[in-house]
Amino acid sequence: MSILVYISTTGGKIKRSALEVLSHCREQAAANNSEVAAVVLDADATSFTETLQSYGAKKIYTVSNPVFKTHLNAPITEALLKVIDQAKPSVFACASTEGTKDIIGALAAKTGAATLPDVANFELTSDGVSALRPVMAAKILSQNTASGDLVLVSVRSGSYDASQSPVVSETIAVDYSPSDFAQVLREVLSSAGDKVDLSEANVVIAAGRGIKDEAGKKLIEDLAESLGGAIGASRAVVENGMFPATAQIGQTGKVVSPELYFAIGISGAVQHTAGMSNSKVIVAINKDADAPIFQMASYGLVGDLYKILPILTEEIKKIRN
Amino acid sequence: MKFIICIKQVPDVYAPIQIKNGELSMDTDRMVLNAYDASAVEEALVLAEQHGGEVEVVLVGPDKAKETIRKALAMGASKGHHIAVEDTTGLDSAAFASILSAFFKNQSFDVIGTGKQSQDTDSGLAGGMIAAHLDLPYAANAVGLQIEEGNKLIVKRQGDTGQEMIELPTPCLVTCSNDMNNPRIPSLKGIMASKNKPVETYTADVLGIDLERVRSSVQTKTIGYQNMPERDPGQKLEGDAEELVQNLMNLLQNEAKVL
Ligand SMILES: Cc1cc2nc3c(=O)[nH]c(=O)nc-3n(C[C@H](O)[C@H](O)[C@H](O)COP(=O)(O)OP(=O)(O)OC[C@H]3O[C@@H](n4cnc5c(N)ncnc54)[C@H](O)[C@@H]3O)c2cc1C
Ligand SMILES: Nc1ncnc2c1ncn2[C@@H]1O[C@H](COP(=O)(O)O)[C@@H](O)[C@H]1O
Repeated sequence: MSILVYISTTGGKIKRSALEVLSHCREQAAANNSEVAAVVLDADATSFTETLQSYGAKKIYTVSNPVFKTHLNAPITEALLKVIDQAKPSVFACASTEGTKDIIGALAAKTGAATLPDVANFELTSDGVSALRPVMAAKILSQNTASGDLVLVSVRSGSYDASQSPVVSETIAVDYSPSDFAQVLREVLSSAGDKVDLSEANVVIAAGRGIKDEAGKKLIEDLAESLGGAIGASRAVVENGMFPATAQIGQTGKVVSPELYFAIGISGAVQHTAGMSNSKVIVAINKDADAPIFQMASYGLVGDLYKILPILTEEIKKIRN
Repeated sequence: MKFIICIKQVPDVYAPIQIKNGELSMDTDRMVLNAYDASAVEEALVLAEQHGGEVEVVLVGPDKAKETIRKALAMGASKGHHIAVEDTTGLDSAAFASILSAFFKNQSFDVIGTGKQSQDTDSGLAGGMIAAHLDLPYAANAVGLQIEEGNKLIVKRQGDTGQEMIELPTPCLVTCSNDMNNPRIPSLKGIMASKNKPVETYTADVLGIDLERVRSSVQTKTIGYQNMPERDPGQKLEGDAEELVQNLMNLLQNEAKVL
């Protein structure tokens, strides 16, 4: 039995969520007398071997090709199939991101693997994997098992801590050249202003419909800057174009689990809380004392965000300087 | 272009749920069209209105789920395909994808649309699975669609850090986000018209599927349900803005120790 962890990279860096999965898989492997391997697809995949070694990957499969500079599902699936064929893992694990959500269904169908997507935790069993998955807009947890020769799991970000545990690894360069794909990547539209990666941030400042104008947006930006935090958003303010879609947190958007989460002018619909309920400390600022967000807030401030935020940002600046 | 959209009947996430001895109990009358599939139907209708073409829908489920097909017909789809499976308990995305793939083998279409995920289970697998079974190019998590030159689908998909514009030749498959649009509410006229629109029903046998084999080859199981871990009860602070901030700063520094 062995575990293969797919390591997603972005802008020359390994995503923290991938290292979280690798760390957990390393521990699962140790507890079950099995081995953990990693696979990385990148224009320069070998540049990550040192990091992967320090996180305990015994074998590292590198697939280097310029096609991986941008995201396209066909070559990723094709390369992963090749590595799976070579490594013959019994479990394939990855972080649950938009990038992996784009390939995991096809990968499952092509390998015939049993699949548990978007799990909050998992462990190896004698014949596969057992996992807990948030369902019904993360209102409850479903306990699932998957069995078969190969099981695929994707893990919600923040489910585990990334921790180092260096080993001496074997590196295997896998030869891969993409076949002709029917699909064409025409353009990558990146959203401006993502100074801090939302899914990796320790502090998230999330804005909702209570933010009514540019002045309100500026209050959010100032608070985020004073705390060194990332800016998140509810669907309402993504839909009206005030914040970029990459900032959306929730069932459709991203899952975050920072140390400190500010929900500002957000009512707390289940589809929003589905993406942030795992945050350690939640501060809610809302003028409606009955807003559902107060039910999960560690500290709920009933009041007008336009009055509260300028003072709050000043106070934070004072202690930060 | 001809679109066939896969639509699923799912429980309304707002319906009260209870867990008794690990089993889920909820109001089975509160079933709705999966929100992501509604967005796929909406987008296909808009494209068909702009460029010509038709929109059909397909659903795997019990007889009762026909009401969800009617909903899509009331929105404007022209025909429904109902693959009758009375008991869907235990079937996972892989099972539904294999049944739907068998259906599509005998259909002509330019674009298959699915939701990005089922809103009850958030699996998000069936779309990619169907594309793989049928060997179709696909893109997932579309937030915008366009047609070019009558036969190319241009997909704007939401990725982790930005958006990708992907050109797909037809036939192809696309999985849709609800961030793509706000699905129309059926008009009274639409609801009346839907009653006369055709809904064709298929049994698994007719599609060449052995349902018992599909059931016995399911590799994932739901063992039970549990409540989310409780959060520590919080504090609600009231007062004027100055007081609120002083209070909060104190709590963040001295109680939560996060500043
Ligand atoms: C399938 C599906 C998926 C979805 N996915 C997501 C998702 O991923 N993420 C997401 O966020 N939503 C999602 N939604 C939408 C969700 O249901 C809500 O509509 C949305 O979260 C509401 O955003 P909001 O809280 O900003 O707006 P509202 O619900 O309108 O709340 C605004 C709040 O601001 C407060 N407010 C107004 N002015 C002030 C002020 N001056 N000071 C203080 N407070 C003020 C109000 O009291 C109110 O509570 C999804 C919906 C569906 C059906
Ligand atoms: N029983 C079904 N009938 C029709 N379409 C389905 C069914 N199950 C899943 N789908 C489609 O596949 C998508 C993804 O489903 P899932 O893998 O369950 O998240 C849904 O949004 C639907 O478009």
